[in-house]
Amino acid sequence: MYKLILKLAFDNAFLRLSRTMLVIIMIAVSMSMMLSIQGLYDGMTLSMIEKTKRSDSGEISIYAKGYRLSKTITNSIKNVSKIKKVLEAKPEIDALAIRIKADGLSATARKSSFSTMIGIDLKEEEHFGTFSEFLKEGEVTFSKRGVLLGSELAKTLKVKIGSKVIFSAQDSDGEINAMALKVRGIMQTSNISLDASAMYIDKKVLQEFLGIPKDAAMQIAIRTKSKTLENSLVAEYRTLEVKSFLSLYPIIKQMEDMMVIFNSITFFIVMLVVFIGIMGVMYVSILDRIREFGIMRSIGLSYKLIRLQIFLEALFLGLSGYIIGAILGYAALSYLKHVGLDLSAFADGMESYGMSKVIYGDIKLSYFTSTLLAIIGASLLSVLPPLRKIKTMNTIEVTKVET
Amino acid sequence: MFSFALKNIFFYKSRSITTFILTFVSTLFFIVYVAMMDGSHNSMLKNALKVYTGAIEIYKTGYRDIGGNEYFIENVDEIESKLSQIDGIKHFTSRYETYGILSTDRYSSAAMVTGINPLKEENMSQLKATLIEGEFLSETSKNCLYAGADLIKKIHLKVGDEVSFIGSASDNSFAADLFTLCGVFRTGSFEFDSSASFVSRSYFDELMYAQNKASYITIDVDDLEDVDSVRLSIKKQLSSELEVLTWKTLMKSMVEMMQVDSIFGYISMSLFFVVIFFVIMIFGFINVSSRVKEFGILRCIGLSRANVRALLLYEIFILSSLAIVLATPIGAAIAYYFSIHPIVIEGMSETYKEYGIVSDSVPLDFNIFTISWNVALIYSLNFLSVIYPISYINAFKPIEATRHV
Repeated sequence: MYKLILKLAFDNAFLRLSRTMLVIIMIAVSMSMMLSIQGLYDGMTLSMIEKTKRSDSGEISIYAKGYRLSKTITNSIKNVSKIKKVLEAKPEIDALAIRIKADGLSATARKSSFSTMIGIDLKEEEHFGTFSEFLKEGEVTFSKRGVLLGSELAKTLKVKIGSKVIFSAQDSDGEINAMALKVRGIMQTSNISLDASAMYIDKKVLQEFLGIPKDAAMQIAIRTKSKTLENSLVAEYRTLEVKSFLSLYPIIKQMEDMMVIFNSITFFIVMLVVFIGIMGVMYVSILDRIREFGIMRSIGLSYKLIRLQIFLEALFLGLSGYIIGAILGYAALSYLKHVGLDLSAFADGMESYGMSKVIYGDIKLSYFTSTLLAIIGASLLSVLPPLRKIKTMNTIEVTKVET
Repeated sequence: MFSFALKNIFFYKSRSITTFILTFVSTLFFIVYVAMMDGSHNSMLKNALKVYTGAIEIYKTGYRDIGGNEYFIENVDEIESKLSQIDGIKHFTSRYETYGILSTDRYSSAAMVTGINPLKEENMSQLKATLIEGEFLSETSKNCLYAGADLIKKIHLKVGDEVSFIGSASDNSFAADLFTLCGVFRTGSFEFDSSASFVSRSYFDELMYAQNKASYITIDVDDLEDVDSVRLSIKKQLSSELEVLTWKTLMKSMVEMMQVDSIFGYISMSLFFVVIFFVIMIFGFINVSSRVKEFGILRCIGLSRANVRALLLYEIFILSSLAIVLATPIGAAIAYYFSIHPIVIEGMSETYKEYGIVSDSVPLDFNIFTISWNVALIYSLNFLSVIYPISYINAFKPIEATRHV
């Protein structure tokens, strides 16, 4: 019997092919669009988060108390090598980056700008966040007084690879010092403040220039997968400031939350409209066949089996749309993930606001599973009103109805 | 045919109600969404223009791309007298901008130090209006420094304190002086407040050997919409070695970012429209497919295919018009109300300070032209949604349609 119900449901679902196809196309098109938009927005946010962690904060950053409010070289972390040893011994820490920072003025013969000199160890940064992947032009080297410049700073100073840049800043004695450097590379991290002001040089050179002890640093950035590490570090280093990525970049958390809200609203609206669409088609389909249902009831078929048949019809509709939508959506998401959305025409604007000119999408299994569940739900719910009609019908009367 | 269409609308209630509600909601949503998107963009631009950047700025060609002291404007007085003759210009002033280091005995910071004409600047920018402590500059201010709140915080300076300045003068010589902090401003623009400081030109020109020279001349116009025509008028009056740029070029990054934001906004909206379009089409199609017999009889008694087409178009026209006529004034009223009383999102400017957001308020943009094209788009989508049902019904032969089950 169930086999017959299944066959009846399948045949009836595709009986009126035009309207069935319209519903399937509606589900497929709206679902694939929704998945593409979700994937694109998620990809954009995830890329910002990942690049910010790799280029700056990691999952956790440690600063001297007061440094974030007053970024002076006196507010530095002392005993860095001892702290480094302790941190490196922790198995939950994947990588560390110890940085020295100093704000100052960068100038060429013709242009000047505010900048932050960041003293780094290239090997350490490569391990920490594959630093070389941020290279936009030139090469990642500090040889012959080399400096790497943030992409927006390079634009402001109008410098090219090989150009000379003078950096002036106050040293630990309060004296204004200057050093001449050669641009070796231009870095684009997609982190607004770094791209606009960062100048990377060798950590030891900056230490010497500022006259600060070898054992001092402004930031210790940590990469970890541990969720509990932050709390244990806070307890361990009470004299220092231990900050998580989200507390350092609350704006990114807010962006992430906004994306979740936006995607949820989009999801809800699309599913509501899918529900209305299936309901409309199923309602008319049932009304068209009301006589048929009356006859089925008259020859002894129970309401339960008729209900099962209608549920299956709606599921066939919904799932057909889902399968096509999932294929189209996956194709679109794959394209966005590998080729991306090229917004080079707006490159200046995108880059100066910390975004890549090509935006890549993200693919998550949850996009497909949550949509499948929602479509099954919408399909089943959409036949409840027409089912009420069948339940309350007078079997004898409806068999007389002319269709 | 019109009254026939009206009768059908009342007869086929579920299709009519669905089409009406979806059209109403999408029209209202579209008008308010676009008003909000355009309003926030306009507000960002206006705030940025109000703070410091002029609607039009004049540079010596090469100053922005190459830079250097040989690219200063040399004959400022002559240019200013020409500008005073041009219609559409509200105010103008010249600025001498340089970068240097401001230091106290313990702290220092790179800063932009600009020589301004205090009287003219009052009309041009928000500098005086954003004073939070001390006093604004005057022609006789001498070595008074007027600095951003975040800049003085960096170097731990208070009103009345002295700060040394080291930079280079217009003749490439070394320029150094001791300034006294006289006033502090906060515009809300984090980048500006943490880097900008000002000195009266009468004093600064002497220090920098910059008499009758300027980095650029900034201009405010009567109407921002006329900025391109005013630019052309200025260009005609000036020598070819000067470039006249509008805010569209000066704030290219911001304008481009807003365009990208709008693209994403419209991509998101398009999803809703596609879904709504399909539902209206499905309901229209279901309605038509259940009336095949009726259309067959109508064709048999003399109605042509064109009449059937007209009937269905009238139906969608009436339904769309009713929904749009109701939704448009409501949407427009919301846009108008919130353009005068902007939505305030507490803490927004602090969170998004790096993105140039200087205010917590988000005014909506009330623009009749924008509302008109929003409405026209919804109308077009509704008309497009009946194309398939029309072609479906007109594919039947009259006799065949009367026998349709």
